[in-house]
Amino acid sequence: MQGAHILKDFDQAISVLRGEVLAMAACARHNLERAIQALLSRNVELANAVIADDDEVDELERRIDKLGMDILVRFHPMATDLRTVISSMKISMNLERISDHATGIAKRAKKISNSAELQDTTLIEPLYTLADNLLRDSISAYSDHNSELGASLHRRDKELDKLHREVTAILGSRIEQTTGRSQDYLHLILIVRSLERVGDLATNIGEDSVFLDSARDLRHVKNRDLGQEH
Amino acid sequence: MTPQNANSAIVVNEMDFSYGKSIALKGIQMEITRNEITAFIGPSGCGKSTLLRCFNRMNDLIPGAKVTRGGIWIDGVDIHSPDIDVVELRRGMGMVFQKSNPFPRTIYENIAYGPRILGEKRKEVLDSIVEKSLRGAALWDEVKDRLKESAFGLSGGQQQRLCIARATAVNPAIILMDEPCSALDPIATARVEELILEMKKNYTIVIVTHNMQQAARVSDRTAFFYLGELIEYDSTAKIFSNPSLKRTENYITGRFG
Repeated sequence: MQGAHILKDFDQAISVLRGEVLAMAACARHNLERAIQALLSRNVELANAVIADDDEVDELERRIDKLGMDILVRFHPMATDLRTVISSMKISMNLERISDHATGIAKRAKKISNSAELQDTTLIEPLYTLADNLLRDSISAYSDHNSELGASLHRRDKELDKLHREVTAILGSRIEQTTGRSQDYLHLILIVRSLERVGDLATNIGEDSVFLDSARDLRHVKNRDLGQEH
Repeated sequence: MTPQNANSAIVVNEMDFSYGKSIALKGIQMEITRNEITAFIGPSGCGKSTLLRCFNRMNDLIPGAKVTRGGIWIDGVDIHSPDIDVVELRRGMGMVFQKSNPFPRTIYENIAYGPRILGEKRKEVLDSIVEKSLRGAALWDEVKDRLKESAFGLSGGQQQRLCIARATAVNPAIILMDEPCSALDPIATARVEELILEMKKNYTIVIVTHNMQQAARVSDRTAFFYLGELIEYDSTAKIFSNPSLKRTENYITGRFG
C-alpha cells in the first residue's frame, strides 16, 4: 500500500486505529453469530453472554472515536490518512449498531426459548447467511481498501431485502394459521428485520470503504457501478 | 501570443528558468486565476519562491538568472518583452516577505512613501490612502493614534500587516507573498490569514508556504512543486483530500519531504 510516514508515531496511530476497527468488527460479527446460534439451539446461557459482551463493543466504539480525534488533533492528516480516520469512525458506528441488533436477537431468543420449540425458527438461517456474508465482505473491503468489493454490497443487499420480505410474509401468515404463538412469531419477524438492518449497515460499511479507497461518496447514488471509472 | 483565459491574472507558458547553469524551473505551465488565492507548496529548493519572484521579475536582480524557454504573460502581455517597464510591472504587484521589512520610518510614511514617489503630493489624498490601506490590513484601529511613531515599535504581526498595507497602497492587482507568516506566532498568523482571505475580493494572491495546513486553510488552488517541476495543480480541496498523484500524496501526508 503506502510507504511509511516520516513520523513513526503517525504510522503507529493509524495502525492502532485500524486494528481497533478490525477487532470491533470481529466482536460484532461473533456476537451476531452467537445470537443466531442461541436462537437456533435455544441456548439461554449463550444469549446472556451475547448481551453481556455488547459492552465490549460499545467500549471499542468509544476508543475508536477517541483515537480518531487524537490523530486529527495531533497529525492533521490529509488525503488517504484523513479518509482512513473519518471512515474508521463512521464504520465503528455501524458496527456498534450491528452489535446492538445481535443483542436484540439474543434477547428475543431468550423469550422464544420460554415456549415450545418453533420449527419455523430455521427460516431465519438463509437470511443470517446473507447478512453475515455482507458483513464479512464489508470488513474485507475496509481492510484491503477494496472499492469494487465495497461497491458491490449494495446490489447484494437487495437479495437480503427480498428474502426479508418473503420470510416476513410467511411468518405473518403463520400468525393467522396458529394459535397461542403469535408473540413468538412476532419475535421472529423482528429478528428477521434485525438481519435485514444488518445488511443495510454492512452496505454502509462498504460505502465507507469505497470512500476510504477512492474518495468516492456512493451514498444515495443510483448507479454505483465502479467498473467504467477505473 | 499565448491565448489567455479572461479569468487568468497570470499565465506561465512552458517556462524554463535557470540561475546561471543551474536549472531551477522546468516546463512550468499554469494559470493563476484572478481574485483567488493560489498556494505554492513543495520541499525546500523545489522552485516555488523562484517562480514567485519571476512574476515581478525580482530575479532580474540576481546575476545570471534568466528565463531560458517560454515565458510569463500578465493580462495578455509578455512581461519579458523589451518594451515592458519593469518598475511599472513591479508597481502592479505587491510583495510581502517572510521577514517583515518596514521602512525605518513612521507608520504613516511606510504607507505614504509609495504613492508619494508615484507623484501624489496632496496631503488629504495621502491621508486617505494611508487610512484605507491600514483599514484594509485590519491595522487602522490599532495604530490610528500613533501614525507618527516608528514602524519598528509595532509587534511582529503588526509589522507584517503594515507591510501588507504598504503593498496595497499603490493599488496593485496582484499580491505575492513568500511565507508571510513563518516568523509570526499563531495568533498573529491567524490575523494575517484572516486578512488574506478578506483581501481576495480585491486582489489576486499567490502565497508560498511551508505550512500545509495554512495552504489548506486559505487557498482556493494549490500547486505542488518538486525539483523545479510543477507536479500537480488543482483545487485545494482536491489536493488535500484526494490528490491525483502518488508523489503529491506522499508529500502532503508526510511520507517524504
